[in-house]
Amino acid sequence: MNSYQRVMGTLMGQPVDRLPVFAVLGAYGGKLTNTDLRTVFSDASAYVASQQAVQSAFGFDLVMTPFVYTAISEAFGGETAWSDCQTPNMKRPGVRSAAEVLTLPLPDPYRTGRLPVVLDATRRLADLYKERVPVIAVLPGPAIMPSLVIGMEQWMETILFDEDLAQKILDHIAPFFVSWANALLAAGADCLVITEGMASAEIAPRAMFAERFLPLLTATFAQINGPKVLHHTGGRINHNLDLFPGLAGLVGVAVGSKDDLAEARRLIGPGLNLIGNVDNLSFPALSGDTIYEMSQACVRAAAPSGHYILANSGADIPLTTPPENLRAMLSAAADYSVEIASRL
Amino acid sequence: MIPKEWSERLLTAMINADRTGAAELIDKVLVSGIQPVQVIADILDPAIVQLGRLWEEETMSLAQNFVASKIAEDTLLRCIPVNSINPRTKGAVVIGNIEDDFHSLGRKTVGLFLSAAGWEVYDLGNDVPAEELLEKAIEVNACIIGASAMMQTTALNIRKLRQLIDDRGFAGRIKLAVGGAVFNWRPDLVAEVGGDGTAHNAVGADELFMRLQAEAQREVTP
Repeated sequence: MNSYQRVMGTLMGQPVDRLPVFAVLGAYGGKLTNTDLRTVFSDASAYVASQQAVQSAFGFDLVMTPFVYTAISEAFGGETAWSDCQTPNMKRPGVRSAAEVLTLPLPDPYRTGRLPVVLDATRRLADLYKERVPVIAVLPGPAIMPSLVIGMEQWMETILFDEDLAQKILDHIAPFFVSWANALLAAGADCLVITEGMASAEIAPRAMFAERFLPLLTATFAQINGPKVLHHTGGRINHNLDLFPGLAGLVGVAVGSKDDLAEARRLIGPGLNLIGNVDNLSFPALSGDTIYEMSQACVRAAAPSGHYILANSGADIPLTTPPENLRAMLSAAADYSVEIASRL
Repeated sequence: MIPKEWSERLLTAMINADRTGAAELIDKVLVSGIQPVQVIADILDPAIVQLGRLWEEETMSLAQNFVASKIAEDTLLRCIPVNSINPRTKGAVVIGNIEDDFHSLGRKTVGLFLSAAGWEVYDLGNDVPAEELLEKAIEVNACIIGASAMMQTTALNIRKLRQLIDDRGFAGRIKLAVGGAVFNWRPDLVAEVGGDGTAHNAVGADELFMRLQAEAQREVTP
């Protein structure tokens, strides 16, 4: 059974040879190929080489296309801050005032800025790993995406104090979210991971999400022709889990490290997949044995119900993480699978 | 209505993210004859303390906290006329996101709460080199530098500021407060970057800064 069969089998609730495992290692790949991060995230061939190195070193069950949101902020005129030790950040948004967003033309996924580089990398990864390892593409959700255009503070201020303008901005940006998602799928991504910050307990209360942003997710997801995973974006998401079943094409939810996996299963029901939730920040600081124990704890809480993929919780795993800590996750999943098989 | 009841109503407005309702409430308080200084001390401050408790219980979101900070700012501006000398000035402090960090929202909220609490806040913005933070602190005679970072990678850049403060002999006089989401998730990082203390949220910043100021004063005046 290869990774593709393993993941697809898990998503469909069928028996698999072992529990699938994934870790977000976009920047880490650059470390493995000794390539600076600006090159990794600006050159499709460099990115693909970095992910091949990740596959060779660890053999995780999913391959990720460039997780680089600054490609989007740049496409709206923003400036990027590059670093040698982390994925790039938005240094300055493209526009200063929220109202200006409505005058901006929407980026073309195939022409604007570095967006074509992301698509090119996606195509190359799909060619390399088609039906061997599933290719996932990560993109920001439609309700958090305006923060990449005007900055988080401006966006939060608009949401909270100018509801009409906020709605107009959401309506203006939503077609780009849809076109970008469909472009990633057309380039060969098998599944989209959508990080919707407004669904996180740390960002917005449930009532606000349910009333103002869930309808947008409902409308836009229906226009995207592929499977989707909703991601917690670094916080907790259990408080909203019962709202998600029924979203078009949703196959799973990535939950935060402070979310209780058993509770997550109860809230989301038996048919959707759960992904997570080993604490990201633990990876560089703790021992391999501890990461193994944390991974085992996740597995024991979530794997018995099926429809589960063990993964880190959060964005890129810090570059200072020792390789043995990543292998500890794989060992925990493999040992669990052997244990289960021995009982049959 | 007594101040405690007004404070509870203000807290409710903060929780409901109702900035307009909070402004109307403060107007009513002032019309009722309660003095502006008492509004800050007996109505705004207790509401902020309660808000901090709710944050600790993880029942508040960034959106609610953001509105609360705006309500605190509105109340302060309403109660303290522009250009007036704030009798409650606690001293100068310098805050900024450390080099390579661009996540400004938390820092700005901290700045608002500190201002509301009576601190003279010098906010240097995003991506501030350690040298610049220290130079500004020396220039304005600040006893605390508040360095913010959202991610672990950028939080580690605070170590340079710690080193600089120590090397130049300001460790006793200038305290280093650190904050940002990553410190809540990994509290051990405070010591790792050389922080003298942290607060879990913007609401707790005043209490932290008061404590650090007292420590600095004890060390400067043994």
